[in-house]
Amino acid sequence: MIYVVLTFLAVSLLLYVLLAGADFGAGIIELFSSKENQAINKKTIYQVMGPVWEANHIWIIILIVILWIAFPNYYNILVLALHIPLTLVLLGITLRGVAFVFRYYDAYKDNSQILYDWMFKVSSLITPIFLGLTMGGVVSGDIINPTQMEQHSFLEVYVHSWFNVFSILTGFFYAALCAFLASVFLIGEVDDSIKAMYMRKAAIASIVVVSLGFITLLYGYFTNIAFVVDFIGNMYSLSAIVLSGILLFPLWRSITLGRRIISRALAGLQIFLILFAATIAHFPKILFTTTGSISILEQPVPDSVLNVLGISLLFGGVLIIPGLFHLLKSFKLIKLLER
Amino acid sequence: MENIDAARLQMAFTLIFHIVFACIGMVMPFFMVVSHKKWLNTRNPIYLTLTKSWQKGVAIFFVTGAVSGTALSFELGLLWPEFMKHAGPIIGMPFSLEGAAFFVEALALGFYLYGWNRIPEKFHWFTGIIVGVSGVMSGILVVSANAWMNAPSGFDYINGEFINIDPVKALLNPAWFTQALHMTLAAFTATGFAVAGIHAYQVYKKRNVELHKKAFKIAITFAAIAAILQPLSGDLSAKDIAERQPVKLAAMEAHYETKKGAPLYIGGIVDSEKQEVNYKLEIPYALSFLAFGDFNAEVKGLNDFPKDELPNVAMVHYAFQTMVGLGTLLMLAGIIFFVAKFKKKSWFDLPKFWLLFSILAPMGFIALEAGWIVTEVGRQPWIIHNIMKTKDAVTPMPGIVFSLYTYIVVYTILTIAVTWLMTRQIKFLNSIKIDQA
Repeated sequence: MIYVVLTFLAVSLLLYVLLAGADFGAGIIELFSSKENQAINKKTIYQVMGPVWEANHIWIIILIVILWIAFPNYYNILVLALHIPLTLVLLGITLRGVAFVFRYYDAYKDNSQILYDWMFKVSSLITPIFLGLTMGGVVSGDIINPTQMEQHSFLEVYVHSWFNVFSILTGFFYAALCAFLASVFLIGEVDDSIKAMYMRKAAIASIVVVSLGFITLLYGYFTNIAFVVDFIGNMYSLSAIVLSGILLFPLWRSITLGRRIISRALAGLQIFLILFAATIAHFPKILFTTTGSISILEQPVPDSVLNVLGISLLFGGVLIIPGLFHLLKSFKLIKLLER
Repeated sequence: MENIDAARLQMAFTLIFHIVFACIGMVMPFFMVVSHKKWLNTRNPIYLTLTKSWQKGVAIFFVTGAVSGTALSFELGLLWPEFMKHAGPIIGMPFSLEGAAFFVEALALGFYLYGWNRIPEKFHWFTGIIVGVSGVMSGILVVSANAWMNAPSGFDYINGEFINIDPVKALLNPAWFTQALHMTLAAFTATGFAVAGIHAYQVYKKRNVELHKKAFKIAITFAAIAAILQPLSGDLSAKDIAERQPVKLAAMEAHYETKKGAPLYIGGIVDSEKQEVNYKLEIPYALSFLAFGDFNAEVKGLNDFPKDELPNVAMVHYAFQTMVGLGTLLMLAGIIFFVAKFKKKSWFDLPKFWLLFSILAPMGFIALEAGWIVTEVGRQPWIIHNIMKTKDAVTPMPGIVFSLYTYIVVYTILTIAVTWLMTRQIKFLNSIKIDQA
């Protein structure tokens, strides 16, 4: 049953990074667009993401619930050491979510829109940066093991764990990745006249993602961050990440040919490869502290808990996944018919 | 401010905020689908306008409830890491099922909001029903997790270790049913009176009267039924607490001395120094009867519990009085509505009638928040009743007070923003002319 639970954990992480990432990215693109393109983007993402955006963000709740039920000790370290960035992520999610709804559901479309738009765009950028910072923090090796917290200062325990160059680079890397995902996704949803705009954004985002990814790994390698050194030394990790980079070429080709399903599948595959590369080298020891890595499987919870969780997840999955696909399909089909 | 006080205040503040939005997001879909059904049956465009207007309200409240709920799911661990480390696996089941229910709700809401003229009419209406039902399911599951803190079960606690964990037994803990029933009825009462009150005020001001009267009737029917049933559920809860958490019952009643045939105090000022209640109204034997169904039953007083295991008596007592007082008031208002509906139709033409319900708009939510204060403050100093103290669960991270201030600022702004958005919705609604077919 532990593998059922781990699979759901991995799937929700992947889907959150992917779907919420595309959501965040849409806001980031809007932030870096001309006024005219901002208006186009606003309209597009309402049509495309409106019906599903709330569902996209529930994956993080599933993720966190699985963590605390099945891996309480692991979760405990995260909420202690990464308290501050997680709180900032939450504030970002809150402001972004309400701004998204406010700007479409306010009865009058007047000057207040300017405020909602700014709130939406800025929190769309800040949230994934802090999310990436948190993920970077998990592997940067600066987390203090809770058993030794008392011997360290406030800054060492609660700030340095995530506020370090490697984590910050990871934060920006993830934000760029979001912009990349969003532009690839949105290209398939708009008329040809607007397509060029998103293609330009996708091109810029790809370059930023690759460069930031490269810099992050290089920095990690030269400062001897255990996670990165092992990552580069591991054949699977290295080939997965290189493959993910190479996939940009077929991706670009399928975009220019207008094949949106293949483009999206390729972009999704790239994210999968990145997450795969990041976990495979060390699995199950995927949390790095100053005194060594900690296994997610350490001190497992009793089988009774795992069984009930696994069954709940399977049950929920059976209930949700068809609904999700139906939702996506309904609105996609309708869009095609409208054209 | 002490770290633990900051953490408790932050938890209280975010919960107080979340509960309002979650309740409205959970109950309003029911009003929406009733109005929608009436539109499908009568094709009276007023109902269509009303449905679409309520749906915007649902969208705004749903998202605010959802994001503040997401924040809460993290806060449990961020503020109370020791609690979650041990309790997380035990009470995981209601949360994982709640995640599923919430997911279904979000999907159904996607269909509903974006489905107008796009998906078959009846299926579209039905997705609205799913939104409502899965919302109530979510609510019940979360309350069940809270009930577990009051009635911990599904594990053995031996030498500080939680062993033999049975998540199903924890989900179906002895308090889940009474608490979930009480809260569901409270959500319908509070939201119903709030929505009805807002529409009543519009009728009182003679704006778009026909539409607002229809809206009022839908909302108040739900609210009145719930308010009239609520005292029965309250009685079940009281008997349950008398048995399992006698110290909470004693605090609710500010009952200091153990006594047979204990009287019930209504109102009064608690003097915790002298351990007495001044200026109260006393009903002899009533407490014994209400708690145990026997006029001569012994009710244990606060003085017979260890001093360091008492909650803040005055706060619990006042909150309880507020809840019961307002609950009774709303029940009477519910009866007034039914009398008007079935016997005295002329009351609907009286401005006083509409003014009365306008004034009652916030009362349900005040009662509901007071009820949660009774539950939560009444359980202190325990976070898990008789197992783990709140002070042992709090995060070791200093400076929580800054996080508290941030939440206060952000949520206050959000409250103002949502209120402002609602007034604009109503203004917009009043400005449109509806062509009667």
